[in-house]
Amino acid sequence: MNYLKCRKPGEEFLLMGNDAIARGALEAGVSVAAGYPGTPSSEIVENLAKIAGDMEMYVEWSVNEKVAMEVAAAASFAGLRSLCTMKQNGVNVASDFLLHLGISGVRGGMVVIPCDDPGALSSINEGESRHFARLLELPLIEPGDFQEALEMTRWAFDLSEELRSVVMLRSVTRLSHASGNVRIGPLPDLKRRARFVYDGSLIDPLTGPVITMPVAIRHKGQQEKIKRAEAIFENSPFNTYEGPEQPELLIITSSACTLYSREAVHELGLRDRVGILKLGTTWPLPKRLLKKHLSTTGRILFVEEVLPFLEENIKAAAADMMGEIGLREFHGKVDGTLPGSGELNPDLVIEAIAKLTGTVYHAVPEEYARKGQILSFTTAPGRDLTFCPGCPHRASFWDIHNVLELDGRQGFVCGDIGCYTMAILPCGFSTLKTSHSMGSGSGLASGFGQLGRFGMDQPVLSVSGDSTFFHAVIPAMVNAAHHKSDIILVLLDNAGTAMTGFQSHPGLAVNAQGDPVPAVDIEAICRALGAHVETSDPFDVEGTEKKFLELIEGGGGARVMILRQTCALSPERKGKKRYEVRVDEEKCLGDSCGCDRICTRIFRCPALVWDKEKRKARIDEVLCAGCGVCASVCRNNAIVKEEVAR
Amino acid sequence: MKNYGSVQLKEDVLDRGLCIGCGACISLCPYLRTHRGRTAMLFPCTQESGRCYAFCPKAGVDLDAVSGFIHGRPYGESGVGPHLSVHASRAGDRAPGSVFQSGGTVSALVAFMLERGIIDAAILTGRTGLLPEPRIVTDPGEVASCATSKYAAAPTLSALQEARDAGFRKIGLVGTPCQILASAQIRMHAESEGLPDPIAMTIGLFCTWALDFRKLESILKERTDIAAIDKIDIPPPPAEVMEIYGKGGTLTVPLGEIRTAIPAACAYCTDMTAEFADVSVGMLEGTPGMNTLIVRTSRGDALVRDAAAGGFLKTEPCPAGAIQELEGAAEQKRKRATAKASEDGLMNPAGGERRPHIRLAAETQARILS
Repeated sequence: MNYLKCRKPGEEFLLMGNDAIARGALEAGVSVAAGYPGTPSSEIVENLAKIAGDMEMYVEWSVNEKVAMEVAAAASFAGLRSLCTMKQNGVNVASDFLLHLGISGVRGGMVVIPCDDPGALSSINEGESRHFARLLELPLIEPGDFQEALEMTRWAFDLSEELRSVVMLRSVTRLSHASGNVRIGPLPDLKRRARFVYDGSLIDPLTGPVITMPVAIRHKGQQEKIKRAEAIFENSPFNTYEGPEQPELLIITSSACTLYSREAVHELGLRDRVGILKLGTTWPLPKRLLKKHLSTTGRILFVEEVLPFLEENIKAAAADMMGEIGLREFHGKVDGTLPGSGELNPDLVIEAIAKLTGTVYHAVPEEYARKGQILSFTTAPGRDLTFCPGCPHRASFWDIHNVLELDGRQGFVCGDIGCYTMAILPCGFSTLKTSHSMGSGSGLASGFGQLGRFGMDQPVLSVSGDSTFFHAVIPAMVNAAHHKSDIILVLLDNAGTAMTGFQSHPGLAVNAQGDPVPAVDIEAICRALGAHVETSDPFDVEGTEKKFLELIEGGGGARVMILRQTCALSPERKGKKRYEVRVDEEKCLGDSCGCDRICTRIFRCPALVWDKEKRKARIDEVLCAGCGVCASVCRNNAIVKEEVAR
Repeated sequence: MKNYGSVQLKEDVLDRGLCIGCGACISLCPYLRTHRGRTAMLFPCTQESGRCYAFCPKAGVDLDAVSGFIHGRPYGESGVGPHLSVHASRAGDRAPGSVFQSGGTVSALVAFMLERGIIDAAILTGRTGLLPEPRIVTDPGEVASCATSKYAAAPTLSALQEARDAGFRKIGLVGTPCQILASAQIRMHAESEGLPDPIAMTIGLFCTWALDFRKLESILKERTDIAAIDKIDIPPPPAEVMEIYGKGGTLTVPLGEIRTAIPAACAYCTDMTAEFADVSVGMLEGTPGMNTLIVRTSRGDALVRDAAAGGFLKTEPCPAGAIQELEGAAEQKRKRATAKASEDGLMNPAGGERRPHIRLAAETQARILS
């Protein structure tokens, strides 16, 4: 039985945090879910999309996080329950709307779920979304385990309706992507009707227009909601304490760090000396509860990711309590007891607790650790961070790199977000020279493209994936076109939001639920900007190079090169070879060729390997995706491709 | 003599701005390519020694050795280099007609060689608009399409390797002094490897300097339709202009402006008359429609005699004054370049890791500078 559809309350499933969140939302009767794909958040909307039809829901992958939040808010304004998901930096994108949504308030329960990525395992930033809750004055809750992921999501909708405020539920990678046993609850039987009521008084948030004005009055109302939230949080069952009545050291923690803290205390055998106060409601802080626990001990250790959010806010609250509870000694990220950046883990927490309690702890005998380190260096094969075999990006960056070198004016590429961000590395021939947020590559290019007047004669390129194009590149390109910025946008159109798992986007003729929808034509949009648009298949190395050189030399404002080739891992291409590729051992001169192994030393497709015994190149047939690009890399024509009959 | 690889080629030539874009290093490997007059190294190559460095006319050239190999004579004995005879010449009546720079001698000789099978392919320099392009020509009737001076440095020698790969074994080459020097090094390399000499005849073109194509293009493109240029000429002094003939009439550009497009490498070039060719051809100053023809080798001598006998070439004695003037100008160029290379530390650098641009024995240097 699918855990999403299961109607047997009490049934237990092994669920990922994101699965549990999706189930919790279903149990709360969510009607509309929207998001923008981003690790580690994507599975929530993906799961809901799968069963949207059965559950009479509407689920979409929106064009970006801000629009996703607006789509979800509209459902709430019409009285439905809705949720919206994104990765940590998505909150930045949505934050403008969220600021206003905080003031206007919501009607149907609305939950915003940012999934942070401590340690940037799948990100190029270590953004901390919790600060938005404080900054924008919104209630914030953080599940501490998988069961709570379900229960707190379910509760968040009630809380949102009780407060008439959007509620932020924050997860992290190790909660979203790790798994644990989860006992499910009942699914509601609902007949949902949507209606947007707006004919009440201008200042009635439940029946009037949904607006932020008059600001002073509404803002005051929002702050009162936060006070009410604090009162609710004082008695929340999601704030728990385990440990002695008078602990020697009090750990205050939340989210996945709860699990690290429990493991650390257990490993050190300090259950009777160290207490753990785990907070599920982290903004506003339940100050009475905190006072009670801060009174029991002299020393406090904060265990949290990423920034010292609890640490700084609880210290500020403690300052107010100082007269009653006295001075306290605080440890955490601020004093360096725990690292200020990167992901935490049980070892780091053990180390911190051991240091503070004077406990000696060795995870493994020193000799064993030393041997392990040596073995991992000497026996594990070296592996590049690289593009997959047959990846269109390798071919695209091969083309771009060579064109820029031939041009010889030290042109460069402003990068964007996708697998192609890896082109800062040798797998993309180190072609990318900037990498920031979604759409920023083209925005930066738009700026660089104006610097010709200051003597900069370097060609300026930006790259964007198809999904990124819709997300945030369009405004940058409108800017570039309008201001005649001298740039070339290279659109790496691989027919899907490939990096996060082939979620749909507006350029595709299918939506998140699998229903047919009109595809928005990228090429037509670019032409409408007045840009010169060329389209090429990056696997056609020679043809692409020629078009590229003409585009670069042609100059004249914003230009677009669409390199169109489906991702090698996409369901359409996977397992289907366009060419059978082999190395002609007669023609491959190996070591004695003057090529200095350009195929396996520079091009480095993982399926093109150097046969150490024969001292020649070889195709790994298992890995080869049959793109045939390597055949154009060998000048001696030793790599042979033969079209596979279809 | 130690040879080097493309890492050193990049350091010594490309990074010093001394590449003339002759094309000698192109078509040998996947790393070096030419585009619009510039040589690009796509990726670093780790080979310690390569043909790219050995062929390059701007990297560690041992002029004494090249002179010894081609002519069996010491370097720098006379201004115009070793020669058997000097003539005034022009295309004969049987040579295909065209727009020529002056006398059409080069086109006539090439057409003759193809017709008689002295060569099986000619490596020439054609032009699309302003951009010079290497051509492999096998049809005598096509030769004239490559006539007239390009002024811009051209990667002509990239076609040499392509012609070898295509199976041509008797190749004729028309090139500027730097291209002819590179071809001499290519022939030396073939001999050292025990391979047959791929080049059956070289015709050198007089040259005082070439122009960087991209710079020339940027000077001209605002003023004329560069796609429609028929011929470029620099009339003799005191005009001090470059004349560009095209569909829309004649454009005149001050030579001072044009000179800003001269590549740095030309200042170190010791050769005005393509000394290492079989025959060398240039304008005959003061006599429009006539060439100066220097015959240097016995096979060059046979070519000139046969072409004249076959009606492809008309020769007459070259006025003594013109020879003297050419000698003086060529000697001045060699002296200037030798002195400059020494001053800039590019000639036989003393010790250390620095590799030379030119190598010359001390006595040769002294002879040139005296």
